[in-house]
Amino acid sequence: MKHVLVIGSGIAGLSCAVSCAQKGMQVILVSPFPSERSQSVLAAGGINAVTPSHETGDSIDKHIDDTLKGGCEIAGKKAVRGLCESAPDIIAWLEKLGTVFTTEPDGSVSKRAFGGQSYRRTCFCGASTGKQIVTALVMEARSYEGMGRIKRRLWTDFYGALIKDGSCYGAILYNEATRQPEAITADSVVIATGGQNALFGKTTGSTQCDGYVAGKLLMQGVELKNLEFIQYHPTTIETAQKMMLISEAVRGEGGRLYVEENGSRVYFMEEKYGERGNLMLRDIVSRCIEATGKQVYLDITFLGKEKIRQKLPEVYELCQKYRGIDITKESIPVTPSVHFFMGGIAVKNNHETNIRNLYAIGECASIYHGANRLGGNSLLAAIYGGRVASASIEASESSDTQNDWSAELKEAKEKLRSLKGSKSPYPVKYIRDMLAETMQENLGIVRSVDKLRKGIDDVTFYLSVVDKIRFDNSEMPYFGYSLKGILTLAKATLLCAQSRQESRGAHYRSDYPTASDAYKAATIIRYDDGAFSTYLDTEGKYES
Amino acid sequence: MRVKILRQMSPVTEPYWQEFEGEFAENQTVAGMLDELNYKDDLIDVNGDPAPRIQWECSCLQGMCGACAMVINGRPALACETFLREIKGDTVVIEPLKKFATIADLVIDRGVIHDNLKKANAYIGEYEGADPKEYDHMYAAGKCLKCGLCLEVCPNYLDGSTFYGAAFANDCYLIASRSGSHKNAITKSYQKNFEQGCSKSLSCVDVCPMQIPTLASIAKMNRR
Repeated sequence: MKHVLVIGSGIAGLSCAVSCAQKGMQVILVSPFPSERSQSVLAAGGINAVTPSHETGDSIDKHIDDTLKGGCEIAGKKAVRGLCESAPDIIAWLEKLGTVFTTEPDGSVSKRAFGGQSYRRTCFCGASTGKQIVTALVMEARSYEGMGRIKRRLWTDFYGALIKDGSCYGAILYNEATRQPEAITADSVVIATGGQNALFGKTTGSTQCDGYVAGKLLMQGVELKNLEFIQYHPTTIETAQKMMLISEAVRGEGGRLYVEENGSRVYFMEEKYGERGNLMLRDIVSRCIEATGKQVYLDITFLGKEKIRQKLPEVYELCQKYRGIDITKESIPVTPSVHFFMGGIAVKNNHETNIRNLYAIGECASIYHGANRLGGNSLLAAIYGGRVASASIEASESSDTQNDWSAELKEAKEKLRSLKGSKSPYPVKYIRDMLAETMQENLGIVRSVDKLRKGIDDVTFYLSVVDKIRFDNSEMPYFGYSLKGILTLAKATLLCAQSRQESRGAHYRSDYPTASDAYKAATIIRYDDGAFSTYLDTEGKYES
Repeated sequence: MRVKILRQMSPVTEPYWQEFEGEFAENQTVAGMLDELNYKDDLIDVNGDPAPRIQWECSCLQGMCGACAMVINGRPALACETFLREIKGDTVVIEPLKKFATIADLVIDRGVIHDNLKKANAYIGEYEGADPKEYDHMYAAGKCLKCGLCLEVCPNYLDGSTFYGAAFANDCYLIASRSGSHKNAITKSYQKNFEQGCSKSLSCVDVCPMQIPTLASIAKMNRR
């Protein structure tokens, strides 16, 4: 029986764990908190699929075309085909698990229009699609927990992978209950830890998604990909602690973006792109909003109170609660915010990294979205990736190599001991805040070589002092040991952005404002003993 | 504003009260206030003594994940959607949920909620479809955060050893209304672990951050 270690219990991790358990494998599902706390529950909009009840004219080929076009032609065609072809089956599977989809009177799953898509194909569950899918997957996982095939490990954080000679054999985990590290071996390790929000501080996502795992794996020899492609969601509202997403569903229901000029409204997206202008791709809308240089508003009042309360209840409540705005009467002041990371751990079509038996799925992996992601494709990719990884793990050969991991465990114990022994009052949070400030300033919607160099200098300095600073030991040890990985990932992200001397999708360079065929490939970054190097995957190393 | 917090360094150490002073915007949430206290400067209590950073759990910071459940001025609530403008007086008293084991400060172990659902085999198994009329109710029940607020406030819930509480009742409804294979088993478990112990104070409904109609779940399950 194969043993699989899944790190992260959001939708991608759950999908993989369930799929592995269905195949008779033994899964350890690791996360600090239960799945209900994962960022997946925030996914509001929906999940794309061309189901049997599709709009006239729509087809799986069109879903593929839209996805590739949205990704500016640098996502792997074969991978995207697999994703889109599996989508109808994934919706049917989710229905059977009890996901409470919004349905039509004939019982078919309702679909809404989403940005960058030629047809209405985004299946949804009211305004809480991610949450309803998590609820269904948690129940399904529970059935395998009862059989003992899935064992959850809560209060547990990733420390590092157990890698030797290009293969992964497990991971060192930090147990928050015993406050000790432990080495867990497995036939395969699957990383499902979400995006790297902590690089930017306030984003639309969860505070739990910090990018540490991707940064640490980079330091351990894993290649990362396309880190420069960071999606800004065009419509968010700011609160003291975060940016709250105003779902694209508002624009899907007809919401209009405008600025005020001389006392009248200018619907700038419609003026520039016509009737569907408000639903242009997220990178285009975000840049257009930034270019106005003014406060942009989103108006949905014309839909009427009843329809707004019925179709967009969560948006209504969120605006009322956190900003005191009644969206049935007032427009919403919106601003773009970091929302999704197209880049992450480089994986082949079977979701395996350049390290054998180490897989990555969900937002932490980079494979389907190219230079920009379509709304509704992330939940789809999270579930599909989990399935693909489990199929590959099932087909892989088990290794009977016995390794001694005592040196790795000793190193982890020493690191943790030194963190606990500190008497300093200086919190890790201060460095994380400085990092977020420099990333927001220098890796925004519009980039330039000067700003990128400034960002690289700042992060290089933080990296040069991180091992010398003693941190406040009353913070969780995880904050202390994760900081270097987070900073390393931040530097890698800036370097990827510097190396791509063109504008494509979510990566816009004011000094290279057009796309160049010379860069029509994924950026890969690697790290060898402190030195970063990037190359373009022109030979399709990760497309097989 | 005075902030009084019940602190505990680890699961095995004694809890103690510690007080802080701070100026906070009235539109700040309790979650935001905890962040400000922790990181605006070094953390010093009202006696001028340095204090360890306050441990608390958060993830979404917008009332959608249930991580930051705690007792605020005697009422179980989510810190990220409790605003200081709603606090009466100039003191806010914060305690961890008391019906769960404390890990550190305001961080508690709610594993018993999941353990009980696992013990009851609370999953759908064979899906037999749902009555479209039940859509709104199922959608609402599907939003349960497993935050534990309903259990904290419940006069019948003690430690989850026999009476499993409202979160369990809602999941029972979700299963019984759609499962072909587990309908009867989950109904029996509901009768044993919920129906017999519930005195219908319905305080669970008052504190639920997702406004789940638990009374409707109870009514439908009791009719089975």
